Amino acid sequence: MAEAMKQTVASMLKGIERYNPDNLPTLERYVEIQSRENAYDLEANLAVLKLYQFNPHSFNISVTCQILLKALTNLPHTDFILCKCLLYEKQLSQEPINQIVYLADILEQCDFQVFWTRIHTLPDLTQSITGFVDSIRKFICHVVGITYQTIEHSHLAQLLGDVDDSTLKLWIKKYGWKEMGNLVFISNQDENIKTKNINEKIDFDSVGAIMASCR
Amino acid sequence: MSKGYDEYEQNYEYDDYGGHTGDPNMDEYNRTHFKMPEGVKNFLVYFRNNVNESLVFELQALYEHTWPKLTEDYFDKRPWPEESEVAAIVDNDHVFMILYKELYYRHIYARIQGGPTIEQRFNSFFNYCDLFNYILSAEEPVPLELPDLWLWELIDEFVYQFQSFAQYRARLQSKKPQELETLNSNNKVWNVLCVLNVLHSLVDKSNIKQQLEVYASGGDPESVSGEFGGHSLYKMLGYFSLVGLLRLHSLLGDYYQAIKVLENIEVHKKSQYAHIPACQISTSYYVGFAYMMMRRYADAIRTFSSILLYIQRTKQLFASKTYQHDQINKQTDQMYNLLAICLVLHPQCVDESIQQTLREKSYHEKMYKMQYGDLQEFENCFVFACPKFLSPYPPAIDSVPGDYSKEAIQHQTGVFMDEVAQQKTLPTIRSYLKLYTTLPLSKLATFMSQSGKTEGKRDLDKEMQSLIIHLLCFKHKMKNVVWSKGASGLEGKFQSGSELDFYIDNDMIHIADTKVAHRYGDFFIRKILKFEDLNRKLHQLKP
Repeated sequence: MAEAMKQTVASMLKGIERYNPDNLPTLERYVEIQSRENAYDLEANLAVLKLYQFNPHSFNISVTCQILLKALTNLPHTDFILCKCLLYEKQLSQEPINQIVYLADILEQCDFQVFWTRIHTLPDLTQSITGFVDSIRKFICHVVGITYQTIEHSHLAQLLGDVDDSTLKLWIKKYGWKEMGNLVFISNQDENIKTKNINEKIDFDSVGAIMASCR
Repeated sequence: MSKGYDEYEQNYEYDDYGGHTGDPNMDEYNRTHFKMPEGVKNFLVYFRNNVNESLVFELQALYEHTWPKLTEDYFDKRPWPEESEVAAIVDNDHVFMILYKELYYRHIYARIQGGPTIEQRFNSFFNYCDLFNYILSAEEPVPLELPDLWLWELIDEFVYQFQSFAQYRARLQSKKPQELETLNSNNKVWNVLCVLNVLHSLVDKSNIKQQLEVYASGGDPESVSGEFGGHSLYKMLGYFSLVGLLRLHSLLGDYYQAIKVLENIEVHKKSQYAHIPACQISTSYYVGFAYMMMRRYADAIRTFSSILLYIQRTKQLFASKTYQHDQINKQTDQMYNLLAICLVLHPQCVDESIQQTLREKSYHEKMYKMQYGDLQEFENCFVFACPKFLSPYPPAIDSVPGDYSKEAIQHQTGVFMDEVAQQKTLPTIRSYLKLYTTLPLSKLATFMSQSGKTEGKRDLDKEMQSLIIHLLCFKHKMKNVVWSKGASGLEGKFQSGSELDFYIDNDMIHIADTKVAHRYGDFFIRKILKFEDLNRKLHQLKP
């Protein structure tokens, strides 16, 4: 369904059509479909926020929440910032948008434990977004993947939201990590993260000019 | 100087035109009885003939030199002659009058104290409508050719006047009820959709997107230019409209569209479209800014340093043209501020001559403060250097009188400062990591707790936990999308481009730094050349 709609929507985003408020109902429906089917189309969602920016009376808080939550599922990309820049300050401080802004803030700071505690107190907020929690786990795995060579088994489980052993095994398998006793081997980082040396290079032209004047 | 200039300069009559008396009534009197100097009269006739004959080279001289010169001589603080007076001289030439009025209003916006009145703002808008209608609704390309610089400044001014209007409109506190009523009943004037529509129409009419796509893949843009896009006027208006859209999207906080609209334009590359320095500089400013907001620091730094190097090298070229010079100087200073911000958040190597400028006092001090976590300094730099953001629509009719013009800028500043606050501990961590190649987590946790103000009994476990969060955050914030190839500036791959990087192996941090060898060669070459130069000059002094 989302796939099928992508084409129709793409034509609505071309040139000046993007600002046509008549397209809003279709675009809003598309947002709901994305939430339901775990699909994602940043450009279309930004167009919705743009239409709200131009037509404040059409502002729909439930659609906006979905767009913001979907933006979180696309971390580590900075989609959430892009959305935030298109909203008015007043809108961002409304319930429950302010809750989502808070979630974004702690995710960006990688304080995952606080995130998990908070998300358990807000079960309704993310309910409409299929696969929300796993998307966040993907982001956490991304951060772990770029940070660690080896990490403690229990720490990893904790970061992923105190997942049980079998779930943890699934994530480890998904990313091709290896269990080694109470440690998990992530990847051989010293191949990528090396000290760089930048040495001075003098090109021929600049020396040539000096040599010429030495004659 | 244009050769035609001498012809009308002979009839200089300064006495026709007194200065300001200081008395508004007298000035009004002077104005109605003002006789146009012969020099100006001849200039206008000559100008119009050149427009009609499409003598672009001559027009360039008239536009770039003669107009500013006459402005300085006669119209330094007062408007150019009224429409009716000029129309009589140029036989009511319709197209010329539109162009004249565009310059006339532009001059009012730039030079007249107190700025344009409501009427002037409205009339300038209607004049733009006339101009774009003439160009866009023609069945076949209109027989008009103007210098590229003029076309660029025309589009840039169009967006500027929209921006100026939006800001003026949002300052409710200083408006009389009558003014508000006029504004409310004319809400189509300087409407954002109207401005977007003009720019998009110019883009579409010229097929510039298709032309750029073919050009980028090495083909001949003429093959897809269509009937209109082959003409220089349409082609360049189309190109400049893309840059106008970049600016407009940025002003509205839409950074995604801002970058997207420049698809198939490689900002740093020389091309047949990129020969107006002011346009290049403006493009890089907005592109770099959008990248910075998207936390694509490496891309922002690349964009800024490349254009700043270009400005350093070509400074003499535009030093003579004062009105452009001011604008360019301002934007250059803003870009150094933005670059300073980016380099504090994301330290990396930049060109030596850029580094040199950043070591100068004012920037150096700012960077130092920001590195030490002075959030106010971040905010000051940002507010100074950011575009003047707008709300697309005026405050609601029933709003409490007040100043709404700052709302948008506060909001964008807020978003940026949230980001800075999230990264607050990173510089401290970086400064410790720089001293080691390996460092146990527990040791760094101890360092960190000493730099903070923890009192009483220490809890190593807690400190370790919060350190790990900061380290994860460090890695996350320093790994960003970086463009390397592709038509759209939005594309790119995740890279860590900052000079310091690390990884954690269980409880040990392994650090990789970038070591830059001292640049002796460069230093000596410069000194030798300087010495040679001095020597040569001394020899020339000999009698």
